[in-house]
Amino acid sequence: MMHDIIDSFDRRKRFYINLLLILIFLWSLTAINWNEDLVHPGGGVMIIQILKSILQPNLSFEIIQIALESTWITVVYAVAGMTLAILYGSIAGVLASGILTNNRILKKVSVGIFRGILSFTRAIHELVWAWLFVASFGLSPYAAIFALAIPYGGILGRILADALNDVPKQPIQALKLAGASNWKCLFYGYLPFVWNHMLSYTLYRFECAIRSSTIMSFVGLGGLGYQIQLSLADLKFDEVWTFLFFLILLVVIVDLWSGLLRNSNNSKFSAHALLRYFSIDRLSIYIFTLLVCTSWYYVIFVQQASLLKLFSSENAQYALKFFTGLLGLNEVQPAFLNFDYWKTAIGLTWETLLMSVMAIGIATIVTLLTVIPAARNFANGTLTASSSFWQWLSFGIIRIAYIFSRAVPELIWAMLIVFLLQPGLLPGALALALHNFGILGKLCAEVIEEMDHKPVRNLSTAGANKAQMLLYGVLPMVMPKFLSYIFYRWEVIMRTTIVVGFIGAGGLGQEFKLSMSFFHYSEITLLLFCYLILVFIADFFSEWFRKAAK
Amino acid sequence: MKKWLLNIFSIMLIMSLVACSQGEDSTKTTDEKDVKKEVFNIGMIPDQNVADLNRSMEDFAAILSEKTDLNVKFVPAVDYAALVTAFERGEIQLAWFGGLTGVQARSLVPESEAIAQRPIDEKFQSVFIKQKGLPINSLADLKDVSFTFGSESSTSGHLMPRYFIMEDGLNPESDFKGKPNFSGSHDTTYKLVESGAYQAGALNISVWEKAVNEGLVDVNKVEVFYTTPPYFDYNWTVNKGLDEKYGEGTKDKVKEAILSMSKDDSEVMTLLQADNFIETKNENYQAIEQVAKQLGIIK
Repeated sequence: MMHDIIDSFDRRKRFYINLLLILIFLWSLTAINWNEDLVHPGGGVMIIQILKSILQPNLSFEIIQIALESTWITVVYAVAGMTLAILYGSIAGVLASGILTNNRILKKVSVGIFRGILSFTRAIHELVWAWLFVASFGLSPYAAIFALAIPYGGILGRILADALNDVPKQPIQALKLAGASNWKCLFYGYLPFVWNHMLSYTLYRFECAIRSSTIMSFVGLGGLGYQIQLSLADLKFDEVWTFLFFLILLVVIVDLWSGLLRNSNNSKFSAHALLRYFSIDRLSIYIFTLLVCTSWYYVIFVQQASLLKLFSSENAQYALKFFTGLLGLNEVQPAFLNFDYWKTAIGLTWETLLMSVMAIGIATIVTLLTVIPAARNFANGTLTASSSFWQWLSFGIIRIAYIFSRAVPELIWAMLIVFLLQPGLLPGALALALHNFGILGKLCAEVIEEMDHKPVRNLSTAGANKAQMLLYGVLPMVMPKFLSYIFYRWEVIMRTTIVVGFIGAGGLGQEFKLSMSFFHYSEITLLLFCYLILVFIADFFSEWFRKAAK
Repeated sequence: MKKWLLNIFSIMLIMSLVACSQGEDSTKTTDEKDVKKEVFNIGMIPDQNVADLNRSMEDFAAILSEKTDLNVKFVPAVDYAALVTAFERGEIQLAWFGGLTGVQARSLVPESEAIAQRPIDEKFQSVFIKQKGLPINSLADLKDVSFTFGSESSTSGHLMPRYFIMEDGLNPESDFKGKPNFSGSHDTTYKLVESGAYQAGALNISVWEKAVNEGLVDVNKVEVFYTTPPYFDYNWTVNKGLDEKYGEGTKDKVKEAILSMSKDDSEVMTLLQADNFIETKNENYQAIEQVAKQLGIIK
């Protein structure tokens, strides 16, 4: 009897998990007071004003010049940050995979320590790193570069470590039997296996780095985000749009680039030898190297930022002062020994958690509603064996919406949304959802594009209509992958909640910003601690759910 | 494949080595330059007209260079706290602060000095605005009303309004409808009230008057219901140790140069709505410091 129940539970496991997730999402919505007027009356006028200026972006020579300059700075920080991230990620990643040693204990220690370092560095959002670096390093470009490099290196390192551990064991054993050292195994055994995967993932992170680099400038380090924030604070929407268009263009270019690279990896063997020589891979690598050189040249010579000055004794003193502040050594009662402040912080932590659940829930719903027509194989009819003008039209519109939604940083979405909605958790959640829906949509559409067409085709020839094809053909196949992307984005959203809090969306972020502005460092320690716990909880649950849903 | 990999790794390695060694070289050369003419950095809190101000500050810096014979450079800041931090670290020699940020900066660098301000800053005021038609006529009526301040670091947009609200017996953390918001800028504050996002708010009087005069705010939707008593606000503050670093008499020279600025000198003066600057001193801001301490902002 008991056995039967467990058996039937096992079979329906996925169903129960989905049900549970939906319930959690619905429960998070109860945190909002739906009775009140959520949208306020005057907001419409404001939104119309904002939208009107889309059609009339400020294209004056001065603004374009500023936009070009800021775009360049954004790219420079992103590239410089990525180079350091790649260095840090590849070293720490290899060490965290433990493949360089045969000694069991040494391996455990190395894996333990480096996995820990990697997960700590990626747990904190780049904007928070930027804040901390500005406070301890000053307004140096390195504050932005390090702030990007540390969490990005953490992510790259972890992905690399996972990929290295997933490499099939037989070829490696063969190499070892032939007498290859651990280093040789790494270069000739492991790396060729993970190379393509890492290349495309790194490029994807590069796209993210450009968006992050925009956000980074919100702490005052120059770049597109800085300009956007300035113009937004002065309510000059025509300028905001000009800068946003540049940002969108930048994201689209990187997106196209990584798309080309992925495609060329798939069809490499068909190309002619000569063509292969000038292949997109090679070209990409040259371009990237060129970008790296010019970026560092710019940082070092044009901005005259010297790395050594960062490590001056003067700076060490400021950093020391900052850290004693964080530890509350010069305070009679640091915030983390204050019971009332703990209560506030825990309340805010709870709010933040609700906001993240709400955000991913909304993003998921919108994605599921749009993802099918957004898949290229649906639009051109390979999936359903029928193609029409309308399919192409909806494909185009949705894809543009995806690009637009993810090119605009959460912070800017939030700044616009507060004009329309009553303040509270909902605007923050919506801003996060708006940004993530574009990313989630893109990732999920790619899953559909890469899936096996045959079962759906079969349904189609058997006379199934579109809804049936979707329900019985597409969804069952793509759902596990979707779920894993959804959880992955949830983790990211959790890290980002602190950022939207900066503009008054509630949660930990707002309090964090206030404490930063008032230089109440021991409060920051406590808030960061709560934030880290949230991030680790998110990581843990998403891992658990992903395993359970498999 | 393997070759590429090695290529990439070696390029990366070379690049990073080159980058590091270049870093050393460049510090040497900039150090040499520094001896000749150390850069004198000025900063400005991002308070109003930030985009325009930041764009025209370079020419203000040029005028200051001319008047003082220093190598003046403007460092843009987008965040109040970042500017205060930079000032504390000695990266900014002269800064345009608000009342509160100035007090914060001077409490971090006790030897720094407020030297000049605009005539209006001697008797600066904040206005409290509300959506037209709401039955709010005094600060005490703000109970259970949704409310937005400006930036949390602003004197006229946060500190003094908060102080006067508390004087009238309300606790901003618990008596409003929900928690008070921090809009980030004065311009955003009146737009948020105009759009209906918040029922009431407080901002800098000169930003408000400018918005009304230029038609940036819809006066059919927003109106003023209370104007605060006057207090000291914005000021130019010089950092410590200028005379040692830039030569004897630098501080006085800078002060003189600022006091001699007139309306037509730079667009910055128009953007700051200042005809000229007048002398000020640290003692003028004791009241603000007390308020900040009382509110727990400075510990």
